[in-house]
Amino acid sequence: MKESKAIPSDAPIQNDLYQQAVEAYGTPLERLVRGYEADAEARRDLLQEIHIALWRSFAGFNGRCSLRTWVYRVAHNVAISHVNRQRRAKSMVLVGLEELENLPDQNATDPDADRQHTLQRLLELIQRLKPLERQVILLYLEGLDAASIGDITGISPGNVATKIHWIKRILRRSFYERGQDGE
Amino acid sequence: MSEGKMANESSSENRLKSVWQNQKSEGIPMSVDELRLKAGKLQRKIHGRNAREYVAALVVVVFFGYQLSLATDALTRAGFILMIAAVLYLVWHLHRKGSSQRLPEQMGLVSGLEYFRRELERQRDLVRSVWRWYLGPLVPGLILLQVASVHAHPGHLGRIALPLAITNCLAAAVFFLVWKLNQRAAGKLQRQIDELDALQKQQ
Repeated sequence: MKESKAIPSDAPIQNDLYQQAVEAYGTPLERLVRGYEADAEARRDLLQEIHIALWRSFAGFNGRCSLRTWVYRVAHNVAISHVNRQRRAKSMVLVGLEELENLPDQNATDPDADRQHTLQRLLELIQRLKPLERQVILLYLEGLDAASIGDITGISPGNVATKIHWIKRILRRSFYERGQDGE
Repeated sequence: MSEGKMANESSSENRLKSVWQNQKSEGIPMSVDELRLKAGKLQRKIHGRNAREYVAALVVVVFFGYQLSLATDALTRAGFILMIAAVLYLVWHLHRKGSSQRLPEQMGLVSGLEYFRRELERQRDLVRSVWRWYLGPLVPGLILLQVASVHAHPGHLGRIALPLAITNCLAAAVFFLVWKLNQRAAGKLQRQIDELDALQKQQ
Protein backbone atom coordinates (compact mmCIF):
# COMPACT_ATOMS: atom_id res chain seq x y z
CA MET A 1 0.00 0.00 0.00
CA LYS A 2 1.37 3.38 -0.96
CA GLU A 3 2.17 5.65 1.94
CA SER A 4 -0.21 8.61 2.15
CA LYS A 5 0.80 12.12 3.13
CA ALA A 6 1.06 12.74 6.85
CA ILE A 7 -2.27 13.58 8.39
CA PRO A 8 -2.25 16.57 10.74
CA SER A 9 -2.51 15.50 14.35
CA ASP A 10 -5.37 17.96 14.90
CA ALA A 11 -7.85 16.24 12.61
CA PRO A 12 -10.76 16.01 15.07
CA ILE A 13 -13.40 14.79 12.62
CA GLN A 14 -11.14 12.06 11.36
CA ASN A 15 -10.25 11.03 14.91
CA ASP A 16 -13.91 11.12 15.99
CA LEU A 17 -14.96 8.99 13.05
CA TYR A 18 -12.20 6.53 13.80
CA GLN A 19 -13.23 6.31 17.47
CA GLN A 20 -16.86 5.75 16.46
CA ALA A 21 -15.78 3.04 14.05
CA VAL A 22 -13.66 1.27 16.67
CA GLU A 23 -16.42 1.37 19.26
CA ALA A 24 -18.98 -0.04 16.83
CA TYR A 25 -16.83 -2.39 14.74
CA GLY A 26 -13.64 -3.04 16.67
CA THR A 27 -14.67 -6.56 17.67
CA PRO A 28 -16.14 -7.50 14.25
CA LEU A 29 -12.84 -6.36 12.71
CA GLU A 30 -10.96 -8.78 14.96
CA ARG A 31 -13.22 -11.57 13.73
CA LEU A 32 -12.76 -10.46 10.11
CA VAL A 33 -8.99 -10.67 10.47
CA ARG A 34 -9.25 -14.24 11.78
CA GLY A 35 -10.91 -15.15 8.50
CA TYR A 36 -7.91 -13.86 6.56
CA GLU A 37 -4.92 -14.93 8.64
CA ALA A 38 -4.33 -18.06 10.69
CA ASP A 39 -0.99 -17.10 12.22
CA ALA A 40 -1.44 -15.11 15.46
CA GLU A 41 1.45 -12.70 14.95
CA ALA A 42 0.64 -12.02 11.31
CA ARG A 43 -2.99 -11.55 12.38
CA ARG A 44 -2.04 -8.85 14.87
CA ASP A 45 -0.02 -7.10 12.15
CA LEU A 46 -2.91 -7.29 9.71
CA LEU A 47 -5.34 -5.93 12.29
CA GLN A 48 -3.00 -3.02 12.97
CA GLU A 49 -2.63 -2.42 9.24
CA ILE A 50 -6.42 -2.31 8.92
CA HIS A 51 -6.78 0.10 11.84
CA ILE A 52 -4.12 2.40 10.41
CA ALA A 53 -5.73 2.32 6.95
CA LEU A 54 -9.11 2.95 8.55
CA TRP A 55 -7.87 5.94 10.50
CA ARG A 56 -6.23 7.40 7.40
CA SER A 57 -9.24 6.58 5.26
CA PHE A 58 -11.48 8.87 7.30
CA ALA A 59 -9.61 11.83 5.82
CA GLY A 60 -11.48 10.94 2.61
CA PHE A 61 -14.81 9.85 4.14
CA ASN A 62 -17.52 11.57 2.11
CA GLY A 63 -20.65 10.29 3.84
CA ARG A 64 -21.99 8.77 0.62
CA CYS A 65 -22.16 5.39 2.29
CA SER A 66 -22.79 4.36 5.87
CA LEU A 67 -19.98 4.16 8.40
CA ARG A 68 -20.42 0.38 8.47
CA THR A 69 -20.06 0.01 4.69
CA TRP A 70 -16.97 2.25 4.74
CA VAL A 71 -15.34 0.34 7.61
CA TYR A 72 -15.94 -3.06 6.03
CA ARG A 73 -14.78 -1.90 2.58
CA VAL A 74 -11.51 -0.54 3.92
CA ALA A 75 -10.94 -3.60 6.12
CA HIS A 76 -11.70 -6.16 3.42
CA ASN A 77 -9.68 -4.29 0.80
CA VAL A 78 -6.63 -4.18 3.06
CA ALA A 79 -7.18 -7.88 3.80
CA ILE A 80 -7.40 -8.68 0.06
CA SER A 81 -3.97 -7.15 -0.46
CA HIS A 82 -2.71 -9.23 2.47
CA VAL A 83 -4.15 -12.45 0.99
CA ASN A 84 -2.61 -11.64 -2.39
CA ARG A 85 0.80 -11.14 -0.80
CA GLN A 86 0.48 -14.37 1.19
CA ARG A 87 -0.76 -16.30 -1.80
CA ARG A 88 2.25 -15.26 -3.87
CA ALA A 89 4.70 -15.96 -1.04
CA LYS A 90 3.27 -19.34 -0.02
CA SER A 91 1.78 -20.48 -3.36
CA MET A 92 -1.58 -20.99 -1.67
CA VAL A 93 -4.45 -22.40 -3.73
CA LEU A 94 -7.80 -20.84 -2.89
CA VAL A 95 -11.11 -22.25 -4.03
CA GLY A 96 -14.61 -20.99 -4.84
CA LEU A 97 -17.75 -21.93 -2.94
CA GLU A 98 -18.79 -24.51 -5.54
CA GLU A 99 -15.36 -26.17 -5.44
CA LEU A 100 -15.33 -26.12 -1.64
CA GLU A 101 -18.71 -27.83 -1.60
CA ASN A 102 -17.27 -30.66 -3.71
CA LEU A 103 -14.08 -31.14 -1.73
CA PRO A 104 -13.90 -34.19 0.50
CA ASP A 105 -14.82 -33.19 4.00
CA GLN A 106 -14.16 -34.48 7.46
CA ASN A 107 -17.01 -35.65 9.60
CA ALA A 108 -19.64 -33.08 10.43
CA THR A 109 -19.39 -31.39 13.80
CA ASP A 110 -22.14 -30.36 16.16
CA PRO A 111 -21.63 -26.64 16.90
CA ASP A 112 -23.22 -26.96 20.33
CA ALA A 113 -20.97 -29.80 21.43
CA ASP A 114 -17.65 -28.00 21.12
CA ARG A 115 -17.73 -24.32 20.20
CA GLN A 116 -13.95 -24.00 20.00
CA HIS A 117 -13.66 -26.93 17.62
CA THR A 118 -16.55 -25.58 15.56
CA LEU A 119 -14.87 -22.20 15.33
CA GLN A 120 -11.63 -23.82 14.27
CA ARG A 121 -13.35 -25.77 11.51
CA LEU A 122 -15.26 -22.71 10.41
CA LEU A 123 -12.02 -20.75 10.13
CA GLU A 124 -10.42 -23.55 8.14
CA LEU A 125 -13.31 -23.43 5.68
CA ILE A 126 -13.19 -19.64 5.40
CA GLN A 127 -9.45 -19.46 4.93
CA ARG A 128 -9.63 -21.78 1.92
CA LEU A 129 -11.94 -19.47 0.01
CA LYS A 130 -11.13 -16.96 -2.70
CA PRO A 131 -11.09 -13.36 -1.43
CA LEU A 132 -14.46 -12.20 -2.71
CA GLU A 133 -16.29 -15.28 -1.50
CA ARG A 134 -14.47 -15.01 1.81
CA GLN A 135 -15.88 -11.49 2.13
CA VAL A 136 -19.41 -12.77 1.55
CA ILE A 137 -19.18 -15.58 4.12
CA LEU A 138 -17.58 -13.31 6.75
CA LEU A 139 -20.27 -10.67 6.30
CA TYR A 140 -22.98 -13.35 6.33
CA LEU A 141 -21.67 -14.70 9.63
CA GLU A 142 -21.71 -11.15 11.01
CA GLY A 143 -25.44 -11.16 10.26
CA LEU A 144 -25.52 -8.65 7.39
CA ASP A 145 -28.30 -8.98 4.81
CA ALA A 146 -27.75 -9.53 1.08
CA ALA A 147 -28.23 -5.84 0.19
CA SER A 148 -25.63 -4.69 2.74
CA ILE A 149 -23.20 -7.40 1.64
CA GLY A 150 -23.76 -6.23 -1.95
CA ASP A 151 -22.93 -2.62 -1.01
CA ILE A 152 -19.65 -3.66 0.56
CA THR A 153 -18.52 -6.27 -1.94
CA GLY A 154 -19.90 -4.71 -5.14
CA ILE A 155 -21.72 -7.98 -5.96
CA SER A 156 -25.42 -7.62 -6.83
CA PRO A 157 -27.86 -8.72 -4.10
CA GLY A 158 -29.05 -11.51 -6.44
CA ASN A 159 -25.55 -12.90 -6.76
CA VAL A 160 -24.97 -12.46 -3.05
CA ALA A 161 -28.14 -14.49 -2.43
CA THR A 162 -26.80 -17.26 -4.68
CA LYS A 163 -23.49 -17.26 -2.83
CA ILE A 164 -25.28 -17.35 0.53
CA HIS A 165 -27.24 -20.34 -0.72
CA TRP A 166 -23.94 -22.12 -1.40
CA ILE A 167 -22.57 -21.04 1.96
CA LYS A 168 -25.57 -22.48 3.76
CA ARG A 169 -25.18 -25.77 1.90
CA ILE A 170 -21.51 -25.97 2.83
CA LEU A 171 -22.17 -25.10 6.45
CA ARG A 172 -25.00 -27.62 6.68
CA ARG A 173 -22.81 -30.32 5.24
CA SER A 174 -19.88 -29.44 7.48
CA PHE A 175 -21.69 -28.94 10.73
CA TYR A 176 -25.16 -30.47 10.77
CA GLU A 177 -25.87 -33.20 8.29
CA ARG A 178 -24.30 -36.05 10.20
CA GLY A 179 -26.83 -37.82 12.31
CA GLN A 180 -29.73 -36.13 10.56
CA ASP A 181 -31.97 -37.43 7.83
CA GLY A 182 -30.67 -36.87 4.32
CA GLU A 183 -31.99 -33.87 2.40
CA MET B 1 -39.04 -28.41 2.31
CA SER B 2 -41.27 -28.73 5.37
CA GLU B 3 -41.76 -25.78 7.73
CA GLY B 4 -40.26 -27.80 10.54
CA LYS B 5 -37.13 -28.55 8.59
CA MET B 6 -36.79 -24.91 7.50
CA ALA B 7 -37.13 -23.73 11.09
CA ASN B 8 -34.57 -26.31 12.16
CA GLU B 9 -32.11 -25.16 9.51
CA SER B 10 -32.64 -21.51 10.38
CA SER B 11 -31.98 -22.29 14.01
CA SER B 12 -28.80 -24.19 13.05
CA GLU B 13 -27.56 -21.24 11.00
CA ASN B 14 -28.24 -18.89 13.89
CA ARG B 15 -26.31 -21.12 16.27
CA LEU B 16 -23.34 -21.07 13.89
CA LYS B 17 -23.54 -17.28 13.60
CA SER B 18 -23.66 -17.13 17.37
CA VAL B 19 -20.48 -19.23 17.64
CA TRP B 20 -18.83 -16.87 15.16
CA GLN B 21 -20.00 -13.65 16.79
CA ASN B 22 -19.18 -14.72 20.32
CA GLN B 23 -15.51 -15.42 19.76
CA LYS B 24 -13.20 -14.33 22.49
CA SER B 25 -11.83 -10.87 21.76
CA GLU B 26 -8.05 -10.41 21.81
CA GLY B 27 -8.70 -6.80 22.80
CA ILE B 28 -5.94 -4.97 20.96
CA PRO B 29 -6.02 -1.37 22.20
CA MET B 30 -6.27 1.22 19.45
CA SER B 31 -6.45 4.77 20.70
CA VAL B 32 -5.49 7.43 18.15
CA ASP B 33 -2.19 8.11 19.93
CA GLU B 34 -1.32 4.42 20.04
CA LEU B 35 -2.30 4.19 16.41
CA ARG B 36 0.15 6.93 15.40
CA LEU B 37 2.86 5.07 17.25
CA LYS B 38 1.96 1.78 15.59
CA ALA B 39 1.73 3.47 12.16
CA GLY B 40 5.36 4.52 12.53
CA LYS B 41 6.39 1.01 13.61
CA LEU B 42 4.47 -0.57 10.75
CA GLN B 43 6.12 1.78 8.28
CA ARG B 44 9.55 0.82 9.60
CA LYS B 45 8.62 -2.84 9.32
CA ILE B 46 7.52 -2.35 5.68
CA HIS B 47 10.77 -0.50 4.95
CA GLY B 48 12.68 -3.41 6.54
CA ARG B 49 10.78 -5.93 4.42
CA ASN B 50 11.47 -3.92 1.26
CA ALA B 51 15.14 -3.56 2.24
CA ARG B 52 15.49 -7.35 2.49
CA GLU B 53 14.04 -7.68 -1.01
CA TYR B 54 16.56 -5.18 -2.35
CA VAL B 55 19.57 -6.88 -0.78
CA ALA B 56 19.68 -9.48 -3.57
CA ALA B 57 19.73 -6.71 -6.17
CA LEU B 58 22.46 -4.94 -4.22
CA VAL B 59 24.61 -8.09 -4.21
CA VAL B 60 24.28 -8.31 -8.01
CA VAL B 61 25.11 -4.61 -8.42
CA VAL B 62 28.17 -4.96 -6.15
CA PHE B 63 29.31 -8.00 -8.16
CA PHE B 64 28.97 -6.14 -11.48
CA GLY B 65 30.59 -3.07 -9.93
CA TYR B 66 33.57 -5.17 -8.87
CA GLN B 67 33.84 -6.67 -12.37
CA LEU B 68 33.60 -3.16 -13.79
CA SER B 69 36.53 -2.04 -11.63
CA LEU B 70 38.61 -4.96 -12.95
CA ALA B 71 37.71 -4.45 -16.61
CA THR B 72 40.44 -2.95 -18.74
CA ASP B 73 38.64 -2.35 -22.04
CA ALA B 74 35.87 0.10 -22.84
CA LEU B 75 33.46 -2.49 -24.28
CA THR B 76 33.52 -4.67 -21.16
CA ARG B 77 33.10 -1.62 -18.95
CA ALA B 78 30.13 -0.48 -21.03
CA GLY B 79 28.65 -3.99 -20.76
CA PHE B 80 28.84 -4.00 -16.97
CA ILE B 81 27.50 -0.45 -16.76
CA LEU B 82 24.50 -1.55 -18.86
CA MET B 83 23.98 -4.59 -16.60
CA ILE B 84 24.03 -2.40 -13.48
CA ALA B 85 21.60 0.03 -15.11
CA ALA B 86 19.30 -2.87 -16.01
CA VAL B 87 19.27 -4.21 -12.43
CA LEU B 88 18.59 -0.72 -11.03
CA TYR B 89 15.76 -0.22 -13.53
CA LEU B 90 14.30 -3.60 -12.57
CA VAL B 91 14.33 -2.71 -8.86
CA TRP B 92 12.82 0.72 -9.55
CA HIS B 93 10.08 -0.82 -11.68
CA LEU B 94 9.24 -3.41 -9.02
CA HIS B 95 9.15 -0.73 -6.35
CA ARG B 96 6.84 1.43 -8.48
CA LYS B 97 4.50 -1.26 -9.82
CA GLY B 98 5.03 -4.19 -7.51
CA SER B 99 2.77 -3.04 -4.70
CA SER B 100 -0.67 -1.50 -4.45
CA GLN B 101 -0.68 2.21 -5.26
CA ARG B 102 -4.03 2.84 -3.67
CA LEU B 103 -4.13 5.36 -0.88
CA PRO B 104 -6.00 4.40 2.28
CA GLU B 105 -8.24 7.46 1.77
CA GLN B 106 -9.59 5.84 -1.40
CA MET B 107 -10.10 2.36 -0.02
CA GLY B 108 -13.57 3.05 1.34
CA LEU B 109 -14.70 4.36 -2.03
CA VAL B 110 -14.32 1.11 -3.93
CA SER B 111 -16.14 -2.16 -3.41
CA GLY B 112 -14.33 -5.41 -2.77
CA LEU B 113 -15.01 -6.60 -6.31
CA GLU B 114 -13.60 -3.46 -7.92
CA TYR B 115 -10.60 -3.38 -5.62
CA PHE B 116 -9.81 -7.06 -6.17
CA ARG B 117 -10.15 -6.66 -9.94
CA ARG B 118 -7.73 -3.72 -10.03
CA GLU B 119 -5.24 -5.61 -7.89
CA LEU B 120 -5.42 -8.61 -10.23
CA GLU B 121 -5.03 -6.34 -13.27
CA ARG B 122 -1.95 -4.72 -11.76
CA GLN B 123 -0.36 -8.11 -11.06
CA ARG B 124 -1.31 -9.42 -14.52
CA ASP B 125 0.24 -6.40 -16.25
CA LEU B 126 3.40 -6.81 -14.19
CA VAL B 127 3.95 -10.47 -15.07
CA ARG B 128 2.70 -10.13 -18.64
CA SER B 129 5.22 -7.37 -19.38
CA VAL B 130 8.15 -9.25 -17.83
CA TRP B 131 10.04 -9.05 -21.12
CA ARG B 132 9.83 -5.24 -21.17
CA TRP B 133 10.97 -4.49 -17.61
CA TYR B 134 12.95 -7.58 -16.55
CA LEU B 135 14.39 -9.65 -19.38
CA GLY B 136 14.67 -7.01 -22.12
CA PRO B 137 16.79 -4.49 -20.20
CA LEU B 138 19.38 -7.23 -19.45
CA VAL B 139 19.88 -8.07 -23.14
CA PRO B 140 21.99 -5.04 -24.29
CA GLY B 141 24.47 -5.57 -21.44
CA LEU B 142 24.71 -9.31 -22.10
CA ILE B 143 25.24 -8.77 -25.84
CA LEU B 144 27.87 -6.12 -25.21
CA LEU B 145 29.75 -8.42 -22.82
CA GLN B 146 29.72 -11.16 -25.46
CA VAL B 147 31.04 -8.74 -28.09
CA ALA B 148 33.69 -7.56 -25.63
CA SER B 149 34.70 -11.17 -25.02
CA VAL B 150 35.15 -11.82 -28.75
CA HIS B 151 36.94 -8.50 -29.15
CA ALA B 152 39.33 -9.35 -26.33
CA HIS B 153 40.44 -12.59 -28.03
CA PRO B 154 41.26 -11.61 -31.60
CA GLY B 155 42.23 -14.60 -33.67
CA HIS B 156 40.89 -17.09 -31.12
CA LEU B 157 37.27 -17.07 -32.20
CA GLY B 158 37.40 -20.81 -32.92
CA ARG B 159 38.49 -21.52 -29.34
CA ILE B 160 35.84 -19.41 -27.63
CA ALA B 161 33.00 -20.12 -30.08
CA LEU B 162 31.80 -23.25 -28.31
CA PRO B 163 31.76 -21.83 -24.74
CA LEU B 164 30.03 -18.72 -26.09
CA ALA B 165 27.43 -20.77 -27.90
CA ILE B 166 26.74 -22.87 -24.79
CA THR B 167 26.46 -19.77 -22.60
CA ASN B 168 24.09 -18.14 -25.09
CA CYS B 169 21.93 -21.25 -25.34
CA LEU B 170 21.69 -21.49 -21.54
CA ALA B 171 20.84 -17.79 -21.21
CA ALA B 172 18.21 -18.09 -23.94
CA ALA B 173 16.71 -21.16 -22.23
CA VAL B 174 16.54 -19.36 -18.86
CA PHE B 175 15.00 -16.28 -20.48
CA PHE B 176 12.44 -18.41 -22.28
CA LEU B 177 11.55 -20.29 -19.09
CA VAL B 178 11.13 -17.09 -17.08
CA TRP B 179 8.99 -15.57 -19.84
CA LYS B 180 6.88 -18.73 -20.17
CA LEU B 181 6.26 -19.05 -16.42
CA ASN B 182 5.24 -15.41 -16.22
CA GLN B 183 2.91 -15.76 -19.21
CA ARG B 184 1.32 -18.73 -17.49
CA ALA B 185 0.88 -16.70 -14.30
CA ALA B 186 -0.63 -13.86 -16.36
CA GLY B 187 -3.06 -16.35 -17.88
CA LYS B 188 -4.16 -17.53 -14.42
CA LEU B 189 -4.68 -13.95 -13.28
CA GLN B 190 -6.64 -13.19 -16.46
CA ARG B 191 -8.95 -16.13 -15.75
CA GLN B 192 -9.63 -14.72 -12.28
CA ILE B 193 -10.36 -11.32 -13.85
CA ASP B 194 -12.72 -12.98 -16.33
CA GLU B 195 -14.56 -14.67 -13.45
CA LEU B 196 -15.04 -11.29 -11.77
CA ASP B 197 -16.18 -9.74 -15.06
CA ALA B 198 -18.72 -12.52 -15.50
CA LEU B 199 -19.96 -11.84 -11.97
CA GLN B 200 -20.31 -8.14 -12.79
CA LYS B 201 -22.16 -8.86 -16.05
CA GLN B 202 -24.73 -10.92 -14.18
CA GLN B 203 -25.74 -7.86 -12.15
